[in-house]
Amino acid sequence: MAKKITGPQLILANRLDDGRAVFLTAAGAWSKQVAEAAVANSEEELTGLLSVAQAAEVSNQVVSVTPVAADVSGDAVAPAHIKFAMQSKGPSVRSDLGYQVSPNWE
Amino acid sequence: MYAYDTFDHAMVNARVAEFRDQVERRMTGELTEEEFRPLRLMNGLYLQLHAYMLRVAIPYGTLSADQMRKLAHIARKYDKGYGHFTTRQNIQYNWPKLSETPDILQELADVEMHAVQTSGNCIRNVTTDQFAGATADEVADPRPYAELIRQWSSFHPEFSFLPRKFKIAITGAKTDRAAIKWHDIGLVVKENDEGEIGFEVLAGGGMGRTPVIAKTVRDFLPVQDLLSYLEAMLRVYNEQGRRDNKYKARIKILVEAMGVEEYARQVEAEWEKIRHIPIDVPEEEVARIKAFFAPPPLAVLADDVPAVDELAGKNFIFKAWLANNTGAHKVPGYANVTISLKPHGGIPGDASDEQMDLVADLADTYSQSEIRVSHEQNLILPHVAKKDLPELWQKLDEAGLGTPNAGLLTDIIACPGLDYCSLANTRSIPIAQTITERFDDMKRLMDIGPLKIKISGCINSCGHHHAGHIGILGVDRKGTENYQILLGGSGGEDASKAAILGPGFDEDGIVDAVEKVVAVYLGEREEGEEFLAAYRRLGPDTFKEAVYGAH
Amino acid sequence: MALINLTGIQPTEFEVLADDASPSEGATVAVPLARLLEAEEAFFKSAGSVGAIIDTETSYDALAAVADKIAFAVIDFPAFGDGRGFSLAVRLRKDYAFKGEIRAVGPVIPDQALFLLRAGFDTVDAADERKAAFEAALERFPAFYQTDFGGQVSVAHTRHSAEGQRKAS
Repeated sequence: MAKKITGPQLILANRLDDGRAVFLTAAGAWSKQVAEAAVANSEEELTGLLSVAQAAEVSNQVVSVTPVAADVSGDAVAPAHIKFAMQSKGPSVRSDLGYQVSPNWE
Repeated sequence: MYAYDTFDHAMVNARVAEFRDQVERRMTGELTEEEFRPLRLMNGLYLQLHAYMLRVAIPYGTLSADQMRKLAHIARKYDKGYGHFTTRQNIQYNWPKLSETPDILQELADVEMHAVQTSGNCIRNVTTDQFAGATADEVADPRPYAELIRQWSSFHPEFSFLPRKFKIAITGAKTDRAAIKWHDIGLVVKENDEGEIGFEVLAGGGMGRTPVIAKTVRDFLPVQDLLSYLEAMLRVYNEQGRRDNKYKARIKILVEAMGVEEYARQVEAEWEKIRHIPIDVPEEEVARIKAFFAPPPLAVLADDVPAVDELAGKNFIFKAWLANNTGAHKVPGYANVTISLKPHGGIPGDASDEQMDLVADLADTYSQSEIRVSHEQNLILPHVAKKDLPELWQKLDEAGLGTPNAGLLTDIIACPGLDYCSLANTRSIPIAQTITERFDDMKRLMDIGPLKIKISGCINSCGHHHAGHIGILGVDRKGTENYQILLGGSGGEDASKAAILGPGFDEDGIVDAVEKVVAVYLGEREEGEEFLAAYRRLGPDTFKEAVYGAH
Repeated sequence: MALINLTGIQPTEFEVLADDASPSEGATVAVPLARLLEAEEAFFKSAGSVGAIIDTETSYDALAAVADKIAFAVIDFPAFGDGRGFSLAVRLRKDYAFKGEIRAVGPVIPDQALFLLRAGFDTVDAADERKAAFEAALERFPAFYQTDFGGQVSVAHTRHSAEGQRKAS
C-alpha cells in the first residue's frame, strides 16, 4: 500500500551488527553516506524503497527502518529533521566522532 | 565492598553465556527483533541514534579501583575511549557492537560486574547515597540492604516482565542525596524507639510526563521483613498496574488511582499471605553481607591540618574546591572528595579512559581503593585523609578533574539528549556547555551558592528537570529545539516538583533566562538565603516578570 | 505444536470445549474461565476433568471462585511481555495451593523457560522448531536468588545450609 507523503523521503536504518546509522541507496545497498541515499518523490517510489528496506530487515541486515523527510534544497540530500540529520553526522558535541569526521568513519 | 562467592560468580557467568546465545540467535534470525529487544534491554543494551549503547550497572554506585580500571579498558578496547556516568549511578558506552557485547559482559563478570536489568520493564539497579558508609549524618550504611535487594531482584521469575521499569532507591542519611522520593519505591533507613534498624517505605514517586512525589506506605518495616514486603508491593503492581498505555504504566499512576491507603492495605494483605514463604533471607545472610561493608580501619587523625589551611589561604581555587568538593567524614581527620565531571564547557558525566585510570590509581593511593558514583554524575573518593587533600587536588587539577564546582550552578545534571538518544526531542549537552561557559567565574559561582540545574532533552525526564531548582526541558516545536524553564524543584528530603515559568526559548534564549533568574535571586535574597528557599518565599511572579517582562 | 515439559509432570490431554457445547460424559475439557464462573455443579460433574483457560485480565476474585473446582489451568499470554501470566501462576500455587498442571499458551519465548518453571508452570505449548531452544534454556542457570514455586530454594538459604557451605568452599 502506498504511504502518504508530503515531500521527498529517504530511508534510514541501523545495521544489526554494529548499530551504525545507514541510508538506503538506489542500488538497494546501505550506505553510511547520506549523500548516496535514494530519494522517493512519490508514494509509489517510497513503497518501492520500503519493500527493499524491509526485506533487509527480514534478512537480519538492518533494524529500525524509518522513512524520513529529505531536504533536497542543498548540494546533497540530507534528512530535514534535526534528529535524523544528527544520525547522518554524529554527535554535535563530539566533532571527533561519527560521519562528520569522514564518510567511512568506523 | 561486597565480594562475589561461587554462587554469584556462577550466576553472572551463566548470564553472559545466555546473552551470547541470544545474540547468536538474533544474528541468525532465530530470534526476531521484537523478541530480542526486551532480552537485550535486560542486559542494558539499547539501540540509539548512531550505534548501540551499553549501560553497565554500578550497584549502589560503589566500585573498586580494579573495577574502574576495567571500565577504562572497555572504553579503550570496545568503545571510543570514554564513558558516560549516569543519574542512576551507572556507566554508559556509546559505540559497542552487538557481536562484541557478550565479550564486554564477560570482561565485566571477571571483575564481579554486569549489565543485568539496567534497562527493560524489570527492577533496575538500586541506587543510594554516594557517601553511604562514609558520611557523618547517617543512621546506618544502606548498601547491605541495597545488595540484598540486588540479589532478590536479579532474574526474578515473577517480576521480569512488569508493566514498566521499576526503580528503587535507599538512603541511610537524614540529608537525602539519592532522591528517594522520586523513585517507584523509596526506602529510608531508620531506627525505632527500641533501637532496631528498619525502613520507612515510600512508593509511587516518578518523573516522566506525570511527575509524582512518593508517599509513605509504611512508617517502619523491620530489616528481616524487607524482601517479602517488597515482593508484596511488586505483586500488587504487577497484577494491577496498567498495561494498555506505557505512559500510565508506572506504579505512580496505580498508587494515585487507588490512593496510597488502598495500595498500602492491599500490600499488607498480600504480605500477610506470603510471610511464611522463605522469601526473606536468614539472619546469617544479612550478617554475611553486612560484614563486607564494615567501615575501613581508619586511624583517627587531627582534624585541623595546617598545610591545608595554608594552601587554601593563598590559592582561591583550592579553597573553593575544599569548600565545595570535600565533605565531612564519619572519622575525624578524613573527608569525602567529590571529583567533578562537570568541567566548564565540558560534557556532564563523561570521563575518558585515561581519567578513569587516573581515578583508579588515586583511589589506590588515597581512598582505600574505593570509588563512588553519584546520581549527580560525579565521582567520589571516600575516606581521604585531610592531610592528603593538597596533593590529591593537584593531581586531579592537572588531569582536568579538579573543577571546584560540586553543588554549585555549573554542577549540572544533563541527559545525553539528541546528541545520542533516540527518544530525545532536543539536545541537552550544548545547553549545559553554554551555561557553564557563561558562568565560568568561581567567585561569582561561590556568591550564588548551592543551585541545582537539571536538563532533560525530552519529557522522559532522564535529566531530572522536575527536581531542579532550575529545570530545563527540551521540546520539539515544529522541528526546532525549544527549551522551557521550570523553577522550584527539589530532589532532596524536601522534595518538590518544579513548575513551568512560561513560554520556551531557543538555545541562546534559555541561557539568558537562567541569567535573569539568577539575577532576581541575587537581588532579592535575604542574608544566607539559598536559591531554593528564596524561590519558595518569593513565588514565581517576581521571576516571571524578570524573564518575560511586565505584562 | 510441541509440548515442552518443564517439570516432568504427566501432561493432561484435553480438548478445548466449543463455546456452546456441553462436555461429553467423562471428557477432559478446557473451558474459558468466564464460562466456568456461570457453570452449575452439574457441568463439573458430567465432565471427567475440567480445566480453566485463564487470560491475563483475570481478576483474583474470579481465580478464587474456580481454583478448587478445576483439575488444570491454561494461562493464555497475549504477548510474551505480559508478566501478569507469571503472577497468576504464582497466585494459584501460593494462595490456593493448586497442585494441578499449569500450562502456558501464547507467544512465550524459549528465554522465558526458567521464569515459567519457577513461577509454577509445568508445561508450555510451543512451536516445533523452538522445542530445542526451550530445552536448552532450562539448563542455563545453576542456582537462583529467589525461593520459587518450582521447588528451588534461594541461594541465600543454600549459603547457610550444610550443603551450600560445601559448595561455596
